[in-house]
Amino acid sequence: MSLWNMILAEAKFVYADLFRRKSTLVMIIAYPYILTLFVVLLGYAMGSRQVFIERTGAPPEIFFITAGFLLISILGVSDDLLWRPNFELWMGTLQYVLISPLPRIYRYIAIPFPRLLIVILIGATSIVPVYMYYYGLGGLVEGAAVILLALISGLFFTTPIMVLMGIIYGISGESWRIINIVRPLLMILLGAYYPRYLMPLMGRIVSYLIPSSHIVEVIQLMIIEKLDVLYALSLIGIATALFILYAPIGIKSINYWETKKLREGIR
Amino acid sequence: MRREAVVAENLKKRYVTKKRRGILRGEKEVVEALKGISFKIYSGEVVGLLGPNGAGKTTTVKIIATLLIPDGGDAWVYGYHVVREANTVRKHLGVLLSVEKGFYGKLTGRENLEYFGLLYGLKREELKKRIDYLMKLLELDKLGAVDRLFEEYSLGMKARLGLARALLRDPPLLLLDEPTLGLDPPSARKIRELVKDLAHKEGKAILYTTHNMFEAEIVCDRIILINKGRIVAEGTPEQLKSLIPAIRTINMVVKGSDNIDTILKSLSINSYKVERTNGLYHIKINTLKPEELLGELLKKLMSNGYETISLKIEEPTLEDVFIYFAEKGG
Repeated sequence: MSLWNMILAEAKFVYADLFRRKSTLVMIIAYPYILTLFVVLLGYAMGSRQVFIERTGAPPEIFFITAGFLLISILGVSDDLLWRPNFELWMGTLQYVLISPLPRIYRYIAIPFPRLLIVILIGATSIVPVYMYYYGLGGLVEGAAVILLALISGLFFTTPIMVLMGIIYGISGESWRIINIVRPLLMILLGAYYPRYLMPLMGRIVSYLIPSSHIVEVIQLMIIEKLDVLYALSLIGIATALFILYAPIGIKSINYWETKKLREGIR
Repeated sequence: MRREAVVAENLKKRYVTKKRRGILRGEKEVVEALKGISFKIYSGEVVGLLGPNGAGKTTTVKIIATLLIPDGGDAWVYGYHVVREANTVRKHLGVLLSVEKGFYGKLTGRENLEYFGLLYGLKREELKKRIDYLMKLLELDKLGAVDRLFEEYSLGMKARLGLARALLRDPPLLLLDEPTLGLDPPSARKIRELVKDLAHKEGKAILYTTHNMFEAEIVCDRIILINKGRIVAEGTPEQLKSLIPAIRTINMVVKGSDNIDTILKSLSINSYKVERTNGLYHIKINTLKPEELLGELLKKLMSNGYETISLKIEEPTLEDVFIYFAEKGG
């Protein structure tokens, strides 16, 4: 019941933070289109559409609208977790949050859930219309599948983000600069707009350690119509295993940061 | 028998800060915020924690609030240890740490309280009733603040909302860190009255920090003076005043001839000030024993034909006590 209450509380927060800031909401919804327009126009100026289709197997519009949607969805969910301690510190709410007697884990589980509604909203305004334009009614089904996978991917990103949070905040304090360095790396390593198979070996290895990147790969295989069900299931299996593996490490990591904070004092 | 709400024993806290020496070099600096303080707070009393800036007031409040782990010593809230049983302690207290910040700007007052209420484990139905009650109690409804965004609040409204959050769970212990700082007189008065009522009528234990001596004197039943991490004095405001060297001021206005200085000197009074306006002498005398001196002085004045117009002995204020101990340096 407390967990449900926490999810409700977070839903209020998301509502206030996103729906009351209309410009933010508009930008979030527009992001997949902006990315697609920018990359596709740049691509047309420098290369051929046909070469892109030969290399990736998907029309650039479909590839980049999907990439934009995945990035804003997955990173949108994870950003709320990753930035939250800093945000709380700036707002002066961190101390009032830390004195909550509810188990900490409830809070970190509750934070991503209301954001998943935003994923559905962005999917409905970007993926669905573009897919339907290209693939007709079949595009609706495919779009719905991509949105569902993006939801799973967003959720799967939470435990590695918890691990990262504890490490970053625990070692460097509430440094937004370090998060600004880590964030673009995560964007690339997810493989959403730079497919994993094109990455150098080191990048590919790190990418394999991110559970969400496996779901992204499933989505990419789907849009280039090379989806093998068994392979896809094995990728989802790996992602699930990694998600579960990171959960206890994530909790320990956040506990480490919070305990450190309680020793140093919150200013 | 009064119940012990807070027991603090030999609390110690050091902060390690980095002092920059050039771009790359830095030196660690240790600041001893608390050097072993012990005190108790009982249910139904307002205890003021007073001291100059950096004395250790907020550090003490944060340790009791489970927001800071002490380096030494122990503290219990209603018998629960603040470090080992932090989660249970949290259920027994309400905290107001900063009047200005601490809420989400894009949420209304009600939404903020709902958020924190859910975070503190309150059930939704109970929470709704409690918020309605607190909005009325703190007159936030009258101020039209209930459904206004927090970012549009005045400081007075913010303080009231902060107190409402501290009271959400109806906790038996309140920790209020300078709750009237920067407030307009009506808001400050409202909060002071409420704090007194909460302690005296509802039996809550309240730890109250302030710089405002007037406020401490009227709100607090007992005062703990803290300086440089140590408790330097403790007691009721009256007891504290009696602790400092009792220099009183005799203020009198007399009418008579022109030899007032001779009379005062004849009584060996050296610390005095005389002003003459409209044929009246305004005399101010600083003395340790005003009662003894006054008898002699009045007798002498009368025998020299002086008429006493007014007479007043001024007692030291809590501010004098505060300054005395602050200057004494703990």
